[in-house]
Amino acid sequence: MPGRVRRCADVEGNKNMQTAIQKAIALILSGDRELCNILLVTAKMSLSSSFIALCIGVPIGIWLGSGRFPGRGILVVLNRTLMGMPPVVCGLLFYMLFSGVGPFRKLRLLFTVKIMILAQVCLITPLVVGNMETYVSGIAGSVRETAKGLGLGAAKTFLLLANESLYEIFSVYLLAFARAIAEVGAVSMVGGAIAWKTNVMTTAIMQYTNRGNFSLGIALGIILMTVSLMVNVVITLLQRRFR
Amino acid sequence: MKKKSLLALLLTVAMVSGLFTGCGNGGKTETTAAATEAAKETAGETEAATAADDATTAAAETSAAETEGQAAAGSVNTVILKEADDKMINTYTVIAVDPEAPFTDENGNAVSDVAVNTAGADALIQFLLSEEGKTAAAEFGQEEFGDSLFYLLEDAPAYEGEIAEATEETKTIRLSTTTSVNDSGLLGELLPIFEEKYGYTVEVQSAGTGKAIAAAQYGNADLILVHAKSSEEEFVEAGFARTLEGFDSERLSFMYNYFVLCGPTEDPAGVKDAESVLDAFKSIADGKYPFISRGDGSGTHTKELSLWPEDLGITKEADSFVDYTDWYTSANAGMGACLVMAEETQAYILTDKATFLTFVANGGVME
Repeated sequence: MPGRVRRCADVEGNKNMQTAIQKAIALILSGDRELCNILLVTAKMSLSSSFIALCIGVPIGIWLGSGRFPGRGILVVLNRTLMGMPPVVCGLLFYMLFSGVGPFRKLRLLFTVKIMILAQVCLITPLVVGNMETYVSGIAGSVRETAKGLGLGAAKTFLLLANESLYEIFSVYLLAFARAIAEVGAVSMVGGAIAWKTNVMTTAIMQYTNRGNFSLGIALGIILMTVSLMVNVVITLLQRRFR
Repeated sequence: MKKKSLLALLLTVAMVSGLFTGCGNGGKTETTAAATEAAKETAGETEAATAADDATTAAAETSAAETEGQAAAGSVNTVILKEADDKMINTYTVIAVDPEAPFTDENGNAVSDVAVNTAGADALIQFLLSEEGKTAAAEFGQEEFGDSLFYLLEDAPAYEGEIAEATEETKTIRLSTTTSVNDSGLLGELLPIFEEKYGYTVEVQSAGTGKAIAAAQYGNADLILVHAKSSEEEFVEAGFARTLEGFDSERLSFMYNYFVLCGPTEDPAGVKDAESVLDAFKSIADGKYPFISRGDGSGTHTKELSLWPEDLGITKEADSFVDYTDWYTSANAGMGACLVMAEETQAYILTDKATFLTFVANGGVME
């Protein structure tokens, strides 16, 4: 803590942080039903979307990183472009597609958790692919030589590559999860932030901010960071086993 | 073990910061900062650094004043200066969406099979217009504020028949509404009564009236509850509305309250003594006193635009107020956020009374 002079200048900021932290702790302890629901939806959405993106992205990433075929460079550049897709654009796209007047209106998916997951997968998969591609292209040469020496087929070489990049896969998962849990633009658009149904931490923070309740927003932010911290600790502990 | 030690760490951090902040009375620096930032952003968008500078100075002054310790925690300096003017009546209207409406997709192609839950929309509208729904709406706020936040229109349409219970197909009702009804807590009071009694689930999306109506036009709502007559009429004229059986109009206006012109207690523009609300707006514009506009196409924004002197030419378009950015801030934010901004920058603001009373009751934040 800074000395006395500094303290008086900072006092208001601290006070607000303090009330926010107090509010966060009080909120958790009170076991507020709506907060529990928000946490549940957030967990469901971010865990499943990051997991699905991982399942899709890792094989593609390994394939892109280790393969030698014409057009590979173009695919890599395309994927890197998709990595930079703004979430709101992705959200708008899905909103239009699944809207009451959109081409996929029959599916009745707008304002459900499913479409939030779908939009998230669309946003996150390129990130997974890009990171895997970068890592695998670094190790592909030596792994391929080993495989050649052992006389392994294409499928087994692929598995060997996957096994060699296990450590990286955990890191990529954390990246995917971080992106999923922190996302607000796309999910607020396709989810509609409907209470008890599609309201997640980030959209709830937006709502409180719009209502002018900044400290409750910060309190939710603190809870969000804590949840994120816990997931990171667990995954990092798991990751260590594969070092 | 890990979790426990983490929790302990968090608690320690909280306690330490608590110990070191014993002095000084609660202020709103955080809100000041946010408001300033928001003001800066808006000003940036409207290409004027001056407004930001003004806002920053004003905000800095406010927080400086508060640090000196004159303002008690939670007191609000913004007060109602002008209300109950005929021009300020704020009527809420409920409209059912017609499944046969001329829906089009983004390319302008007609779409005919849009799913709209008409039975559910009927039930909710019938409930809102029933004796039970109306009484609950009229009584809302009396306990907390000693005054109703919404009043019933005398000639409001009434419903006395039966309300159908939910079936598997009609269970989910999508209500697109404005922030004022949701943020004031009215829906939180009304909907549970309705849901419990008839077995429906109402999914509420709340946005400014402009966005709320757009959602219905994209086939994403079964009914709308909004408050901007001109936009409603456009919606009806475009053929999106449906007349309920037993009623003679698509637009079912049933409750109202007043918009209020608020500003700092000191009232530098002398709004309080102005003859009419139009004069009040004129004196704000003449004296270039800071004014926060919602700027988001909401009902409040629409109303505010109709109150400025016509020769200023302020409209929804950003370039219509480019010359006024030294005092006119188009915030593009919710009512609560705008109220905080007005409070921090000592600005005038037009707001619905319900949201303002909630704002004051909570000492400058909206719960």
